[in-house]
Amino acid sequence: MNLDFSAITPYLHMLLTGAKVTLQASLLAVFFGSVFGTLVGAMRVSPIAPLRSVAAAYIYTIRGTPLLIQLFLIYFGLPSLGLNLPAFAAGIIGLSINSSGYVGEIVRGGIEAVPKGQWEASKVLGLSYIKTMRFIILPQAIRNMLPAIGNEFVTLIKESSLLSTLAITELTMVGQQVRSVTYASFETFIAVGIIYLVMTSSTSLLLQYVEKKWQVG
Amino acid sequence: MSQSAASSAPPAAGLIQPAIEVRRLHKSFGKLDVLKGVSLTVPEGEVVSVIGPSGSGKSTMARCICRREEINKGEIFLYGKRVDGSNHSNRDIARLVGMIFQQFNLFPHLSVMDNLTLSPINIRGLSKEEAVENAMGLLKRVGLEEKKDARPGELSGGQCQRVAIARALAMNPKIMLFDEPTSALDPELVGEVLDVIADLAGSGMTMMIITHEMVFAKEVSDRVVFMDEGNIMEQGSPAKIFSCPDAPRTRLFLQRMLAPLGKDFSGESGSEACGHES
Repeated sequence: MNLDFSAITPYLHMLLTGAKVTLQASLLAVFFGSVFGTLVGAMRVSPIAPLRSVAAAYIYTIRGTPLLIQLFLIYFGLPSLGLNLPAFAAGIIGLSINSSGYVGEIVRGGIEAVPKGQWEASKVLGLSYIKTMRFIILPQAIRNMLPAIGNEFVTLIKESSLLSTLAITELTMVGQQVRSVTYASFETFIAVGIIYLVMTSSTSLLLQYVEKKWQVG
Repeated sequence: MSQSAASSAPPAAGLIQPAIEVRRLHKSFGKLDVLKGVSLTVPEGEVVSVIGPSGSGKSTMARCICRREEINKGEIFLYGKRVDGSNHSNRDIARLVGMIFQQFNLFPHLSVMDNLTLSPINIRGLSKEEAVENAMGLLKRVGLEEKKDARPGELSGGQCQRVAIARALAMNPKIMLFDEPTSALDPELVGEVLDVIADLAGSGMTMMIITHEMVFAKEVSDRVVFMDEGNIMEQGSPAKIFSCPDAPRTRLFLQRMLAPLGKDFSGESGSEACGHES
């Protein structure tokens, strides 16, 4: 077997454009997923029992079903309720919802890892629940959470390849298009894989750097 | 051995109110009864040490007083105001009672100065300048003004506890509760913390100190309370409790605590020596 990468070099810029879409989608999803996930996580540890139950059920459902099914529900299912979303929007919403379930659990873990004494001291000093969360617990919890949130971002970069099933022209989708033109399947998907690897490992490195900076402060 | 008048009426208005009044306090955790009807009155300005074996309910009593635990039965009054219900916010209690924990519980992500000013700014409504000025005074008082920009992680255990005391004082409380303030410290760091507490005791602050430091309790307190199995077994002046306690359990406890120190306040035959005391 001989690999001939020259067959796909004319299409390299297409792959890179796809990679850009992948990064955009992952960034947006990790952002919305983190915002929403923090809310879910805060509900999960709230002193109000119904909020805890709702958050627990949400996390349970999201983590217990495949991302692909969630994407299909949003893109193919919602139109039957009269809600037609463009593919990219549906993809971002699906990825974000999926991510929020995982981030919610990360946030819960991060908050619960802050020693109980911090709550005690805050209460004795008269701080309300909201102020304790804001000034005392979350700043410490975020440090606990950062590595896991970083992993979540890396996971999203990979999982976003499922967006190809909604015909979004992200990296995997573009890979399929390039393959169908060049018939160089092996070379194309090796190149696609390498691009994913570069994106995930540079993200990891960047996050390690950020973590180090935070730990010093 | 209760001092309180054991009536369920609120303390009469107009009279001088005790700083702390606990009436028939019951607290259980599940099936475990930790406090079995404890009554205790602490007048303003008094320094009370609470001693007793582990699990006797000392800490739980203090935690109930500052509302860290909900109580099952009984009443707690601070300066004549009932505080055991749900109509008191953390805020009200925090302005009245400061609490010091065994594990310091400083906020590790904040500087010493921010530890001291966070609550005064947010709860007492001080301006930043006032809070900082107040905090500097308190840090001077505990001998740590040069550590104002340090993080708790850079301090020794003794320094942490002194910062924790300054942080509690920054809320300008009328009552200070100490829950085994030196139990987590290396022996050589105990002294500096006890010095700060003794200094505070001398200043007229109402204080309740839960401690295993018998020598310190004897020197610093106006009254010593001995607790065992969820009850106050005995209370009295330090001289009385440490030299001729009435209850056999108190004697046994003190013998165990003091024997390793080579100290014996009660003499060889403690109870007999007490027979003639005035």
